[in-house]
Amino acid sequence: MKKKYNNPVGVENYTGLLLIMPFVVGFVLFTLYPFVCSFILGLTDCDGINETDFIGFENYSHMFSDEDFLKSSAVTFRYALILVPLKLIFSLLTALLLSAEIKGIGIFRTAFYIPSILGSNLAIVIMWQFLFTSDGLVNQLLEIIGFAPVGWYSQPVPAMFIIVLLRLWEFGSTMIIFLNALKDIPKEYYDAAKTDGCNSIKSFFHITLPLLKKAIFLNLILQTVSAFQEFNAPYMLTGGGPEKNTLTIGMLIYNEMFRYSDIGYANAVSWVLFVVIAVITALMFKVVKNN
Amino acid sequence: MKKLSAIFTAVLLSAALSACAEKKSFTEPDGKLDSCSIRFSWWGGDDRHEATLKAIDLWNEKHPDINIIPEYGGWDGWTEKLSSQINGGTAPDIMQINYDWLVSFSGGNKFYDLGKLKNFLDLSGYDEDILSFGENNNILNAVTVSVSGRGLFYNSDVYKSFGAEYPHTWNELLALGDKFDDNGVYPIDLDIQSGGTAWYLAVVYVQQKTGREFITMDGKLGFSEEDIKTALDFYKQLEDNHVIRNVRSRTDEDGNAALYQSPEFISGKVAGILEWGSSVGKYEMSLPEGILEAGPMLTDDSGNSDGWLIKPSMLYAISAETQYPDESAAFMNFLLNDEECADILGTTRGIPASSYAEKSLEKNGKLKGLALENHTMLEQINTFTISPYMELAKMKEFYNEAVESVSYNTSDTAAAAKKMYDSINEYLEKIKK
Repeated sequence: MKKKYNNPVGVENYTGLLLIMPFVVGFVLFTLYPFVCSFILGLTDCDGINETDFIGFENYSHMFSDEDFLKSSAVTFRYALILVPLKLIFSLLTALLLSAEIKGIGIFRTAFYIPSILGSNLAIVIMWQFLFTSDGLVNQLLEIIGFAPVGWYSQPVPAMFIIVLLRLWEFGSTMIIFLNALKDIPKEYYDAAKTDGCNSIKSFFHITLPLLKKAIFLNLILQTVSAFQEFNAPYMLTGGGPEKNTLTIGMLIYNEMFRYSDIGYANAVSWVLFVVIAVITALMFKVVKNN
Repeated sequence: MKKLSAIFTAVLLSAALSACAEKKSFTEPDGKLDSCSIRFSWWGGDDRHEATLKAIDLWNEKHPDINIIPEYGGWDGWTEKLSSQINGGTAPDIMQINYDWLVSFSGGNKFYDLGKLKNFLDLSGYDEDILSFGENNNILNAVTVSVSGRGLFYNSDVYKSFGAEYPHTWNELLALGDKFDDNGVYPIDLDIQSGGTAWYLAVVYVQQKTGREFITMDGKLGFSEEDIKTALDFYKQLEDNHVIRNVRSRTDEDGNAALYQSPEFISGKVAGILEWGSSVGKYEMSLPEGILEAGPMLTDDSGNSDGWLIKPSMLYAISAETQYPDESAAFMNFLLNDEECADILGTTRGIPASSYAEKSLEKNGKLKGLALENHTMLEQINTFTISPYMELAKMKEFYNEAVESVSYNTSDTAAAAKKMYDSINEYLEKIKK
C-alpha cells in the first residue's frame, strides 16, 4: 500500500513553490530586477540628476567611437587570454603535487589555499604595491641576481604582469576543484597503465587529462567570466595606468557610473560585457559538446 | 502559467521604470528641534578627522537629543561614494561637498534650499559674494566653509641643505632644477592623480601670461588650443629641467599611493608640494613640526602675480531628502559659527569664511599656521575664481590624459593640446545641453 505523507504546510499544490520562494524572491529582487532596470537605463541618458531622456541605442553606437571603450575591451581580452590559461596550468600542476598521499599534505593544501582567502583586500594590495615600487623588494632581488630594476607601474607589460601575478597567486579555488577531480580518478587506471609500461607523463596525458575534462571546463568557464569582470586588482594597484593600459571594462563601467555619473552609458557597457561573456561561454559549451 | 508570467513581467518592468524616474519625498522645516540621529559626512586627512570628531563630541554634550553619526574618509574615492549615496537616495543629512558638486548635483535638486532654514542657520557672518558661491539658480544650496587657493609649500630642511631659496618667479622655479640635479631630490612634485596639480600649475602659468581664464564661470573653455599647448610645454619644461619627477618615475616610486603617504615625500626626496591651504595639514603631519613652510606665489619677471586660482575649498550642504532639516541646519550652524567649535576645528578646513568663527580663532590665538599664510598671500594678489566646471571628474580626466601622454612622449604637446581642446569643448557642450 502506498504510504501517504502529511503536507507540513497544508497547501499541497503550492508546497514546492513555497519552498523555493526565498530563492525566487532573492533572485527577482537582487538579480532580475537590477538586470531589467540596467537594460532600460542603457537606453537613456540618465545621469541620476537631470531629467532622463530615452535615446534608443545611442549609448551603444557611441561605444564604437569611444577610445576608452575600445582600449579597455582590448585590455580585458588580453588580460583574460593571459590569465586564464596560466591560472589553469598553475592550479593543475599544484593540485597534482598536492594530490600525493604523503604525511602532512593537509598542511600544504591549507597553506596553498590561504592566498585565496586573503584575496585582493586592501592590506594585501598595499603590500603588493610596495613590493613592486622602484625601491621595492622585487627590484632589490632583481639587482642582487644581476638584473636591472624594472619600472613595474610605468610600463604597460610589467603593469599588466603585476595584476596577472596577483590573481595567479589566488589560485586556491581553482586548485581545489582540480584536487577533488583528481581524487575521483580510480587508482586502478594508473596501476593498469603502469603494468602496460606507461610512464608518468604518458599516464598524465592519457588518463589524468581526459578524466579531468569536466573540471578543466568548469574552471575555464569560472575563470574566464571572472577575468572579464576584473575590477579590484587594476583599480587598486595601477589605477588603470600607465596611459590606460590596464583599464579593464570593469573599471571603465565604474568610472562612467560613479566618477562621471554617466549612468546610461555605464549600463549600456555593462550589457555589452554581459553579452560578450554569454557568447564566449556559449561557444565554450558548443566546442566541448562537439568534442 | 503564461498569464502568471505576463503579469510578473509587467510588474517587473513597471517597477524598473518607476525606479528610474523615482522622486523622493521632501520634508518641510517645522521650526523646532526634535530628538533624532543625523548623519554628517566629510573627507579629509587625519588632522581634520580628529578635530571634527572632537567638535561632534562637543555638540553631543550640548545637544544630547540630537545624535550626530560621523561618516568620514580620505579624498580618493569620496566623490564616487557620495555620488552613489546621492543617486541611490541614501545621502547623509549634512555633507561636506566640493565646489563642482554644485554643478553635478544641484540640477536634480539633490540639496536642500537653505533659504528655508534661516530659523536655525545664521548667515549674518558671511559676505554676500562668498554666499553666492553656494547658490544655484538663485537658490542657496550650500554654505562656503572657507575660501582657499593652492599654494607652494616647501620642506625647509631640504632647501636649507641645498642652500636653495624658495622661488619667487617661474624662471627661478625652472632654475631650481639645476641646484637639486643629480641628487635624486626634486624641488617640488606635481601629480596626475585625484589632485591633478600638474595641470593646475600649468593653468596658473598661462592665466598669468595671457590674462585669460581657463574655464569661464558659465562653463566655456577660455583657453585657445595654443594656450593649452603653452601650458603643456611649460609642464614638459618642468620635467626636463628636473624641477619635478616625470610621470614614469612618480608612478614607479609611489605606485597608486597618495603623495603625503609616500616615502619620497616623507624622506624629503620630494621637497615641495602644491596644495590647498585648507588641506595642507595632512602634509604638515607627515613631517616633523615646523618643517613645511609656505612659499611665495610665483610671478613673472615683471612681478605680475595674476592668475592664481581660488575657490570655496569646501561647502556644507543638506540633503534634499533629509527628514530632519531643522536639526541639520542647527548642526551646520554650530559647525560654521559656534565659538567653541571654531576653536576645536581651528584651520583644518582653511581659514573660516564665517566672520564669527574667524573672530573666535583670532581671539584664541589660533588664527595661524600654513593655512593662514597661504590665505594672506592669496588676498594680496589678483586671483581668479575657479569655475566649478574646471573641477568636474571628466575634465580632470582630459587634463591627466594630456599630461601623461606628453610625459611618456606618446604624443607631442601640439597633438595633446588639440585632443584636450576638442574633448573639453565637446564635453562642456554635452553637459550643458
